[in-house]
Amino acid sequence: MSVRMQDLVLPILAVGAVAAVIRVWRGRAAKTPPGRLRELAWCAALLAISVSVLSALYPLFARNNLQWWALLIPLAAAIVLVVRPRPAERAVPVVLILYGLFGFMVARDYVGGGINTYGLTMVGNPDVEADFVLPQAYVFLLLGSWLYWSAEGTSARVRHVLGRLSDLQPRGQLLALMLLPAVVVAAAFATPDLWLGADAGVGWTLLLLAGTVVVLRKWPEFAARAATAGIVGLGLMGLALAAWAEGGGFDFARTPYGGILYGAVLVSTWHTADAAGVEGLALLALGVWLAPQTFPQVRRWLGMAPDAELLGRVQRLTESRAVAVDTASADLRRLERDLHDGAQARLVALGMNLRAAERLILTSPDAAIALVAEARETSARALTELRELVRGVLPPVLADRGLADAVRALALDCPLTVSTEIDLPGRLPAPIETACYFAVAEVLTNAAKHSGARDAQVWMSHAGGMLRIEVTDFGLGGADPACGSGLAGVEKRLATFDGILVVSSPIGGPTMIVMEVPCALSSRRISSC
Amino acid sequence: MRVVVAEDLFLLRDGLVRLLEAHEFEIAAAVADAPGLLQALVEERPDVAIVDVRLPPTFTDDGLRMALEARRAVPGLPVLVLSQYVEQLYARELLADRAGGVGYLLKDRVFNDDQFVDAVRTVAAGGTVMDSEVVAKLLGRRSREEPLARLSAREREVLGLMAEGRSNSAIAQRLFVTDKAVSKHSTSIFTKLDLAPSDDDNRRVLAVLTYLNG
Repeated sequence: MSVRMQDLVLPILAVGAVAAVIRVWRGRAAKTPPGRLRELAWCAALLAISVSVLSALYPLFARNNLQWWALLIPLAAAIVLVVRPRPAERAVPVVLILYGLFGFMVARDYVGGGINTYGLTMVGNPDVEADFVLPQAYVFLLLGSWLYWSAEGTSARVRHVLGRLSDLQPRGQLLALMLLPAVVVAAAFATPDLWLGADAGVGWTLLLLAGTVVVLRKWPEFAARAATAGIVGLGLMGLALAAWAEGGGFDFARTPYGGILYGAVLVSTWHTADAAGVEGLALLALGVWLAPQTFPQVRRWLGMAPDAELLGRVQRLTESRAVAVDTASADLRRLERDLHDGAQARLVALGMNLRAAERLILTSPDAAIALVAEARETSARALTELRELVRGVLPPVLADRGLADAVRALALDCPLTVSTEIDLPGRLPAPIETACYFAVAEVLTNAAKHSGARDAQVWMSHAGGMLRIEVTDFGLGGADPACGSGLAGVEKRLATFDGILVVSSPIGGPTMIVMEVPCALSSRRISSC
Repeated sequence: MRVVVAEDLFLLRDGLVRLLEAHEFEIAAAVADAPGLLQALVEERPDVAIVDVRLPPTFTDDGLRMALEARRAVPGLPVLVLSQYVEQLYARELLADRAGGVGYLLKDRVFNDDQFVDAVRTVAAGGTVMDSEVVAKLLGRRSREEPLARLSAREREVLGLMAEGRSNSAIAQRLFVTDKAVSKHSTSIFTKLDLAPSDDDNRRVLAVLTYLNG
């Protein structure tokens, strides 16, 4: 490994200084200092990127002897991070991942001249490459992936990329992903050219992998079944191949590669035939183990209990449906009671007053006038009560304008000073709009009552089939959904729509409540006529 | 004074028309939906329009949007918006063009016909009338923000009543003080809100807008 320390000292110092500045700046600007681990990760990411980019551009520096350029790259990265933290949070990990992948290409000598160094290593010596480039590539790849997963709003994005695969439970996803190795092994068995003759096969290999990925995204359940069937088939094939080779029924010398590629083994002698047999047996065992998990029919034939995950899902759905039904019937009862005790009673009083006035109008007009005035007041009160009732059932702005404006109206009516940042270019399904509206209302009411805050902010946007709402108040903190606040109720109601609610409320504040509900955004807007 | 009335419920529309005619308004048109309203506003050019927020065809906020659209085409076109409920969001949208001649009242306010007719006349004359419910909500929240924080409690009270569209003498009656005291308060309000001397009506509108819009 030939690291030239003198080339790295300056950029490392610069990055350290810039990272320190960012730490202070970000801490102040966001009022909420990011977690320590996260901060460290950011500094490390900046450091890694800067060093990597610098080393990739090494020939440039060496030729022009412009060492001060070294300062510009961390500086630019820092400016982007500070000015546009959200896009930068996504861009930094992507750059890291790409650089990691680039490392694999460097290690495989796919990249010709022009590149002198990778990370901390000089490229050119094959031993050094194998020992040092690959580990670095893994580090960049893992760091980038971890940062990508932990960045704001990534889960929605990843969901989008994974397509329907993200709908499955983790175990189902794993089963579906089995398709990839199955395809690889099967393809190698079918046409060894794909893997052995690299130049001719690369295009086909990529095409095959791309096709597999498409299947994974669009038909994950089918992928899991195809993988299981394929693995069983491959296992049987391995055993057959081994038996055939042992029996001496095949002349391996006649094949183009002097054998048949089976998984990791080039079957050419009785010795390798044994290995193929073991591989086949292992694959068959794997396939047999997978079969009941991917084919419900097999499960039924074997008389096994239904899938635990499925049972869990049924359990959750049963619970959330019970909550939904309970809530709906409780709402109806409340509505009936409010109408009965309020508007209805007032209308009865109104009628009685008017009747009395009717009787008195000729004999004592003054008393009649007083009664009529009272009747008018009663009707005004009935109207006020009805208005409140309607607001509790379906707030008018929500019906008129949808969630975005309804939440803006909520922010205006809230006793706290609430700033809103809402990006919803369309309407959501009506039940979700209503649930989310009352969720935000409940959270803001809680903040106004208990947090002691004067300011709060609501952030709301929709991306990748997921509505995300963040409500932050800068109060005392210490909110706990388990302690009988309305948050538990909100959580249950959101669960009806497979939504979640997460509370972060350290003692001393701030309190941040994040709600996520999967839903589609219809671009249709009510046309203004 | 010529009025266009837009209200989809026949009983209410009829009641409004009769009430206005009893107070010697001329009904230029009484329409039941949003397209009809736009046509009436363009063809009749009334002195004031009384518009229900919720109108066909979509039964959402068509009336409000139509009123805003008409005021974009004809700045300052006097519009009094009626609704079963009042929303600060809608109040802000109506006031956003800062042109005056705007009212936003609960439908219940029609019960008190004298006050309602006063409100219609105030709007027609370019004044601003906000429902006391909107004003009351603002009174609680905005009082600690600049420049309203400069006002005394009494001055804020006077400004709130101005926002409801009341005249000086009506305010005096309500607060049990003399007309002179009210005009002293209002001069003080204008000074504290940095409103340069101009005709009193205009400053009133601007003061109210400062109060409502922030």
